[in-house]
Amino acid sequence: MLLSPAVMLAVIGLILGLIAGFVMHRADFCIAGMFRDLFLFKSAATLRALVLYLAVAMVLFEGARLLGLLPLYPFPLLSPASLAGTLGGVLFGIGMVLAGGCVVGTLYRLGAGNRPSLVAFIGLIIGSTLYAEFHPFWKSILTATTLFSGSITIPQYLSLSPTPLVAVAVALLGALVVSWFRHGQLSRRLYAKGAMQLWQAALVLAGVSLASYLLIGMPLGITTAYAKIGAMGEQLVFPNHVAGLGFFASQPLSYRNPLTGTMLTGGPGPDLDGIALIQFPLIAGIILGGTVSALSLGEFTLGHPAPWRQYLSAAVGGILMGLASRMAPACNIWHFLGGLPILAFSSIFFLAGILPGAWLGACILTRWVVR
Amino acid sequence: MTSAAVDTIEYDIRGQICPSTLLIALREINSHAPALRNGAVALLFLTTNRASTHTIPESAHNMGFYAEVTQHDGYYAIKVSGND
Repeated sequence: MLLSPAVMLAVIGLILGLIAGFVMHRADFCIAGMFRDLFLFKSAATLRALVLYLAVAMVLFEGARLLGLLPLYPFPLLSPASLAGTLGGVLFGIGMVLAGGCVVGTLYRLGAGNRPSLVAFIGLIIGSTLYAEFHPFWKSILTATTLFSGSITIPQYLSLSPTPLVAVAVALLGALVVSWFRHGQLSRRLYAKGAMQLWQAALVLAGVSLASYLLIGMPLGITTAYAKIGAMGEQLVFPNHVAGLGFFASQPLSYRNPLTGTMLTGGPGPDLDGIALIQFPLIAGIILGGTVSALSLGEFTLGHPAPWRQYLSAAVGGILMGLASRMAPACNIWHFLGGLPILAFSSIFFLAGILPGAWLGACILTRWVVR
Repeated sequence: MTSAAVDTIEYDIRGQICPSTLLIALREINSHAPALRNGAVALLFLTTNRASTHTIPESAHNMGFYAEVTQHDGYYAIKVSGND
């Protein structure tokens, strides 16, 4: 083997991140905006791309599972549903609207030189790190409000094969997509240089998610790494405090990578472990993807300051998202691009939380931020 | 906000978080609607937000106005007027 398993996984993560960041920047595939605009402008135009993504990802994931290509099903780190997780979804919804982008939208915009996204990125790290201070309390709430006997997915709970349930979901979502396609509602007239349609980006991202699931062993996920970055920084200043926090000592990741056969373990603590190996290259790739796309279009710029209210909003939004992505637990990318396609309970509960959260965020945005 | 020309009001909203660009554009189009309709004024929005290069023209068209998008060095200029 020319590359060590660790280098191979890092390179795969970087490439997948680069593709995702590039495509998201070209299409402005902003999941925060999809939910926000539902309430702010009463428009579901952009949300249609997410529905298309779900339908395609469901087919791809289930097809791969039936072909025996997904030995880890459900994938590692996916939690059972919890009522408290829905509250995490609400906070996440508020945060992503205030930050002007979700955990991934923040990255590709940061890569393109957007200053408020840098502030949101720092807020995400701070929020993820702050969560460690009340992790034992929140974990007990999550456990106490866990539903469906701890089952991860609907098919698991019903003791059914995923295929018929996925088929029903794909039929329902597919009918919507076909209707939108017939009415010409999937495409818009685009003016930006090098712009991609959202539906095109949705198809590419479904391919990226499948590749991640096949090669890394799970779909795209990045938010544990935000806590890890924070822990690394905090350790420099308060090493004893970091060492005493249970959250940073936890090792939720423990699985055998299907591509290399390597056993990977890790958690949010400051060590360079399996989480760092999987998620750091992905984060770097998404930022770089945004940078490459913006530079190639002549759009990369750091020179335009925003009003102070928007920096404050980005900071508060980033901190809220960071906290919420650990409280839910996990972020919108994990749940929407990975969990919903396999009918995970926690992802459905997260979705139930993010809708009122996005509405609240839109209310706060129009009342206090955009003047 | 500066007046770039007698009949063109320029809004430099580059670098702002999404969706402030569209919200500001909608507010200004609404407040200048009569002057836009009779051709007395045009609005020029400078933005670095790629999504607003189609959301602002879409909204302007839905309100009965015209919009023209041009790319400049690192940003876009969207001109909204009452006629083409």
